[in-house]
Amino acid sequence: MTVQSLYGVAALVAGGIAYLLPFLPPWLVTIIADVVFGAILLAASMINTIVLIWYERKLLGRFMDRRGAMHVGYAGLLQNFADGLKLFRKNTYKPREADSLGFYGGPTAYMVSSLVIFGILPISTGWDNGSLPLSLLLALVIFSFAPLFIFLSAWSSNNKYSLMGGMRSAAQMIAYEVPILIAVVAVVVLSGSFDLTTIVSEQRNYWFALPLFLALIVFVAGMLAEMERIPFDLPEAEAELVEGWNTEYGGMLFAFFMLADYLRALIGSILIVLLFLGGWTLPSYVPAALTSFPLAGIFWFMVKTYLVFGVFVWVRASLPRVRTDQLLRVGWMRMVPLALVSVLIAAAVVAAHCLPVLGCVPGLGS
Amino acid sequence: MWINMGPQHPMTHGLWNLRVKIEGEIVKEIDPEMGFLHRGIEKISEDRHYNEVITLMDRTCYVAGIAWEHLYIQAAEQALHVTPPARALWIRVLCEEMQRIASHVMWYAAFVQDLGLMSPFLYGMRDRDLLLDHFQSFTGGRLTYEYMRVGGVRNDLPPGTTDRMRKTLDWLMDRFVEYDRLCMGSEIFRKRCDDLGVLKANDCIAYGVTGPMLRSAGVRRDLRKDRPYAIYDQVDFDMAIADSADVTGRYLVRMEEMRQSVRILRQVVDWLDKHPGPVMAPNLPRWLGAPYAPVGREGYLLKRNYPKGVGLSAIEEPHGEANAYVVNEGGEHPYRVKFRSPVYVNLSAAHKYLVGYHVADIPPIMGSVDVCVGEVDR
Amino acid sequence: MGTDGGTGRMTSEEISGRLKEKLPEAVLAFEELPGTAGRVRFRAESALEVFRVVRSDLGYDHLSMVGGIDWVEEREVIYLVWSDLRRNYLLLSTRIAARDAHIESATPVWPSANWHEREAWEMVDIRFDHHPDLRHLLMPDGYAFHPLLRSFKLHEPEELEVKVRRV
Repeated sequence: MTVQSLYGVAALVAGGIAYLLPFLPPWLVTIIADVVFGAILLAASMINTIVLIWYERKLLGRFMDRRGAMHVGYAGLLQNFADGLKLFRKNTYKPREADSLGFYGGPTAYMVSSLVIFGILPISTGWDNGSLPLSLLLALVIFSFAPLFIFLSAWSSNNKYSLMGGMRSAAQMIAYEVPILIAVVAVVVLSGSFDLTTIVSEQRNYWFALPLFLALIVFVAGMLAEMERIPFDLPEAEAELVEGWNTEYGGMLFAFFMLADYLRALIGSILIVLLFLGGWTLPSYVPAALTSFPLAGIFWFMVKTYLVFGVFVWVRASLPRVRTDQLLRVGWMRMVPLALVSVLIAAAVVAAHCLPVLGCVPGLGS
Repeated sequence: MWINMGPQHPMTHGLWNLRVKIEGEIVKEIDPEMGFLHRGIEKISEDRHYNEVITLMDRTCYVAGIAWEHLYIQAAEQALHVTPPARALWIRVLCEEMQRIASHVMWYAAFVQDLGLMSPFLYGMRDRDLLLDHFQSFTGGRLTYEYMRVGGVRNDLPPGTTDRMRKTLDWLMDRFVEYDRLCMGSEIFRKRCDDLGVLKANDCIAYGVTGPMLRSAGVRRDLRKDRPYAIYDQVDFDMAIADSADVTGRYLVRMEEMRQSVRILRQVVDWLDKHPGPVMAPNLPRWLGAPYAPVGREGYLLKRNYPKGVGLSAIEEPHGEANAYVVNEGGEHPYRVKFRSPVYVNLSAAHKYLVGYHVADIPPIMGSVDVCVGEVDR
Repeated sequence: MGTDGGTGRMTSEEISGRLKEKLPEAVLAFEELPGTAGRVRFRAESALEVFRVVRSDLGYDHLSMVGGIDWVEEREVIYLVWSDLRRNYLLLSTRIAARDAHIESATPVWPSANWHEREAWEMVDIRFDHHPDLRHLLMPDGYAFHPLLRSFKLHEPEELEVKVRRV
């Protein structure tokens, strides 16, 4: 059996199937195991997304001197499921002049492209197979599909506001792709790999956030723009564009957009944790008791991810929205130079083989 | 490309339509379309008793209802030759200044929300509620009060109001500091609002723009100072002035006005503590008396012999200069009531401060005008 | 031009005297009106000259409002103007015949008269000659009536008994 090429969890599933149904050919076992694993991933990511929305609502409520959702479930935990149910039951309608393919295909592709990334991101040791050498690049490439789909759905909904929102979205996302990729180059230089698992394991002595603080800032700002959250949410600025590119969407199609937005927020937070905050590991000098309990990797990973997302919520509660030209100016004229400087820093660290204070990383420069 | 911002659009804060012609993201031409909320208040007033018009006044501007009551009641009293007692005047000023703070806080909440910052909206609503609680305690209403009457006010303040008021004022002064930190301390806020929607002093005067917009251009005009009505000549306060003529300037003027209003309110509350007395004019003719007002026996005049007159009043409403012109041709109803709404005039100059800016700048600029469509359309 | 201690304030007599001197034929009467410097009644035919003199010579540079009043046979137009220099209001009023009521627009003198005159036109049916943009403002386009005329009847209001507690 070729279980070695499967994910850890998938291998477990495949082993179980092979034990229960020994007459199945191995290739069928592999396919079934992949499908089951995909379902598990899908459920995990959707539940996480919905909890993330709850988390944002509660946190935002506290920032705003109110309580957030309170009534459905304990402390409003089930509120989002109720909202989802309501959206699910709603009638979806299409403006008469809208283009069907784009109108329905745009949100679907947007949602799917966001979900696919979850299959690539390693959550903890055991989830990954350790043999996707370009997983970081693949994740970023799929992540940058989004402006295309947004623009598609904006244009095909045949609404002036949607069109303006879509154009803003495209301009903004393309402008912030560049600094994000350059900031990622700094991480790649420091870790010597495009593989997310390797990048995480290279952070066992110190997190990359320390030497690459500039890159972290660039990456966080870029991610804010990619996720279209305040202060960079101008494609859907509700004050002037009436929710921008999703003006014409209602019911489940709107839910697709909203879920995909939060999925992307989750992915952004996960990427920040993986690239800069040590992923599921803690630095090697923290007490072993903190990392030795069962599922410790996933636990620390979730804690870090939610803390990072909390910072995004905090930003949303305290900053107004910027204007398109200001956003683009900051993107091209501030973020790109900063990212380039951080690449230089990364190169310097690699050239010195060590970080003066925190010691050497085994394998650096070798 | 012409786009319709309205009548259902988050920017409008009411029911009107701003037609905008854009090239790219730049505004080239605008055409405001009003009248969606026109209820014909001036016409209805002609068929209403003088005291019934007060109900309509609350609906004129739904965030500054009692200021409009004050405006109308002054004109009506002048037209009807009625002089209210001193305590009623002070209570009216109390109401107007509370309403000014409530209106400005509401403006702050909505304006910063337009910039994409949601927290101040909740903060503003929270603090405005304190003032509405006070209104409720002595008028019974939170938004539409129907409190003033020809000849005074409907009832006196309940005991303890002044002490509770002082506590609220202290709380509000602390909150104003927070508001300022959240906005003026924010780089993005300054970047968005500086040099935006500039309307220079000479344009302001030519187009009749008044209120915080005019004062933010450095013109010293505040009817409370220039033409003191009610008891404004007996209280001590400063005129809020800025000289940048842009959105930031209007923000600063309104913030300062709230502080000055607190200053006025403290003096008013002190005065009210020391001077108890009647709140309705004695000897009103019976047909003018408020339902529960004390009505003198001797002062009854036959309606048909009641002298005619014309009343003109001007107050510094939260949005600017408001005028009322009431014609009394005998009888229970005013012959004609004409109002000047400050926002109406400020909007009529919109092409001067909107053209040439970005589409994204329209919400903050219109937010800084503080549009209240109820009083534009009347 | 002021006489009141250099503050630019003038008494009502001085304003009336200056108006009579500049416009002997246009000004019909000057009356006292509490709360203002006075009320100037002028002839509608020479409206523009009156506006120019009030704006330039007397310094009333801010037009507060323009309103129309329907007196059945006649219509009255009132202009409320304010002077920052004198810190007082002046009310200008003129009467025109109801048939084919028209008057010169004040927009060349006070640009702010624009919307006021549009409203006065649609409400009280007073045409403002040489107005740049005399369209409907509050009423829908093509609305055939003028609501603030006395001939435009509302339904009969319910008689409301005002109950007064006897003392």
